[in-house]
Amino acid sequence: MSSNSEFSVRVEGLGKRYLIPHRHKTAGRMGEIAAHLREFFPFMGRDERDFFWALRDLSFEVKPGEILGIIGRNGSGKSTLLKILSGVTQPTTGRARLRGRVGSLLEVGTGFHPDLTGRENVYMSGVLLGLKRQEIAAKFDEIVDFSGIEQFIDVPVKRYSSGMYVRLAYSVASLLRADVLILDEVMAVGDATFREKSQRNIEKLASDGKTILFVSHNERAIRNLCHTGVILQEGESVFQGTADDAVTKYRQLLHQYDISDVKEEATRWDLAEAPRHHASGHRVISWISLHSADGNETNLFRTGEPMMVRIGFKNSKVDKPYFSVIIHNEFAEAVATVNSTHTGKPLTAKTDGVIECLIEDLRLGEGSYYLMVDFGFYGGNRLTTTSYDCIANAATFRVDLNGYVAGNGLDSFEGAVHRSRWAVSPLV
Amino acid sequence: MTEVRVIENQRHFGFGLLEVSRRLELLWMLAQRQIASRYRQMLLGVVWAALEPLGQLLMLTLVFGFLLKVDTAGYPYPLFAFAGLTGWWLFSRNLMAVAGSLQDNMSLISKVYFPRLILPLAASVKELFDIAVMVGLLLIVSAIYGYLPDFKVVVLVPLLLSAGLLSLGIGLWLASLMVRFRDIRPMLGLILQAGMYATPILYSPSLVPERFQFAYQLNPMYWVIELSRWALLDKPVVIAAPFYWSLGVSAMILASGLLVFSATEKIAVDVQ
Repeated sequence: MSSNSEFSVRVEGLGKRYLIPHRHKTAGRMGEIAAHLREFFPFMGRDERDFFWALRDLSFEVKPGEILGIIGRNGSGKSTLLKILSGVTQPTTGRARLRGRVGSLLEVGTGFHPDLTGRENVYMSGVLLGLKRQEIAAKFDEIVDFSGIEQFIDVPVKRYSSGMYVRLAYSVASLLRADVLILDEVMAVGDATFREKSQRNIEKLASDGKTILFVSHNERAIRNLCHTGVILQEGESVFQGTADDAVTKYRQLLHQYDISDVKEEATRWDLAEAPRHHASGHRVISWISLHSADGNETNLFRTGEPMMVRIGFKNSKVDKPYFSVIIHNEFAEAVATVNSTHTGKPLTAKTDGVIECLIEDLRLGEGSYYLMVDFGFYGGNRLTTTSYDCIANAATFRVDLNGYVAGNGLDSFEGAVHRSRWAVSPLV
Repeated sequence: MTEVRVIENQRHFGFGLLEVSRRLELLWMLAQRQIASRYRQMLLGVVWAALEPLGQLLMLTLVFGFLLKVDTAGYPYPLFAFAGLTGWWLFSRNLMAVAGSLQDNMSLISKVYFPRLILPLAASVKELFDIAVMVGLLLIVSAIYGYLPDFKVVVLVPLLLSAGLLSLGIGLWLASLMVRFRDIRPMLGLILQAGMYATPILYSPSLVPERFQFAYQLNPMYWVIELSRWALLDKPVVIAAPFYWSLGVSAMILASGLLVFSATEKIAVDVQ
């Protein structure tokens, strides 16, 4: 094989812009109409302000048998990318090449008509996705079997439960003999059993040399299923690598973490100018420091021993405040939430001061952790918390298991540490 | 070596018929789906297809035949009107269906790719099916009035087909324009109504003054309707120069409609 034939999907400099003529209101209705006309007649001249780039200069390559996960927040360009690759819409710049037959499932149940029976809809959506009738007939039993709704196959789909509907629709698409399969958020369908079944199916397709492009918000699904990952942010690729790394990086991006600028040795952090997690406008938390039980500053803690967090605050005008310390692991998963409301006693923290939080026994596994600090109002009729100031990645520390539990130990992503007793008794 | 599909911004455009020919199965299934969903959910499915036009015919006969006593040169009014209405119904319904085909199927075209031209074509196939039911009815009514159909009725096939193609051409133009300008849809009903009175459906074309006849006969639907009457009632018709003109115009509308549609369907999803 030549090097050219190795790719299954190759995307080069792909970009897509949309016309949004409503942006500058000054021109009024006539300006809007003129902008519409400019789309048709390029010679009328175009205004760059009328356009919005949903996807910009994206390049990546996928090999046969690879499952690529595409992650990104809402509006990051994921769906636009899949729409371009499935041919629904055209790119403005660049090009994509896909080898072999492309099957896409941008929405479960595309082309299903409620008045037609399950059988008719299987044929309808199969033909819609580009199969021949005989091909569907050959696979029909397998499709029905996979969906598990044999007895209802001749009932109009409008009488199906939503679960049945979705299972049938997914079965059709997943059993397509496509060389490249484009899936958008499909893992969210069906119950756990069905999800597992479809996951196995996807894995089998990949081991048969098919290529799968998979979009999901579900980080777990991406990590379990995909080999590689691409993170999209505001239409641009910000990371490409293994699926595990992509998920971790994505979580860090979500929580504004940047591992590279964490000062490993620091024990006290000035937060007056730190970026805030949300734009409430309040800047109450001014610094944070970490201490061991004896009061000395440190960033190395031992499992089962105390940890003290001191938070400096300024200009607090909240009557009934709360402070909260949320600990994330390296995958940016929250592993512990320690809240001042847990004491059951009201707190007063007016104007300026320092609040001290003593965690009596830190039951975290071995690894590095990131601390998020939250401050706000706690109260009202239903005792809810309203955040005023929140800083993600306010502090960093490491935890050493230090023999708290024996054996193979416990890492930061395995949850809380518990000491346990185990006993075996003979069968009665 | 498997085929590599290249996706990029395409500027070329054509009629798009070659692509459609590769997916005829889909075209047929979409048409079938529309036909089936119309006739299946209604108990009297096919009966309704006949009752609606018959009811309309009855009302028109009462007003124009009995009250206004429109001159039909001796032909029974219900048959005279029905012969004209059949072609017009095909034209107007197909026009509406084709014009709305992109928007009505937005949920489909924004999720899966197939040649978009299939949608208006499927709509046309469905309308042709409906009109076949109507023609059967027309032949029965005609026999009841003593006009037994002879071999000339086969002319109805190319006549109705040409009415279908003309409305397809205009419909494709409208569907393309409606991608950006939805205002067209509410105007359509009014325009079609005007078109109905500008065509000799409910009255005899001899009512139109001689000096307007040339312009009047440029309307392709004039010929569809007058020739239908010739085929069914043996009503004399003179093929004049405007006939050839209208043929040329229809062909141009269809060709340009296909071109415009193939250019605009590419952005239809983006501006929904």
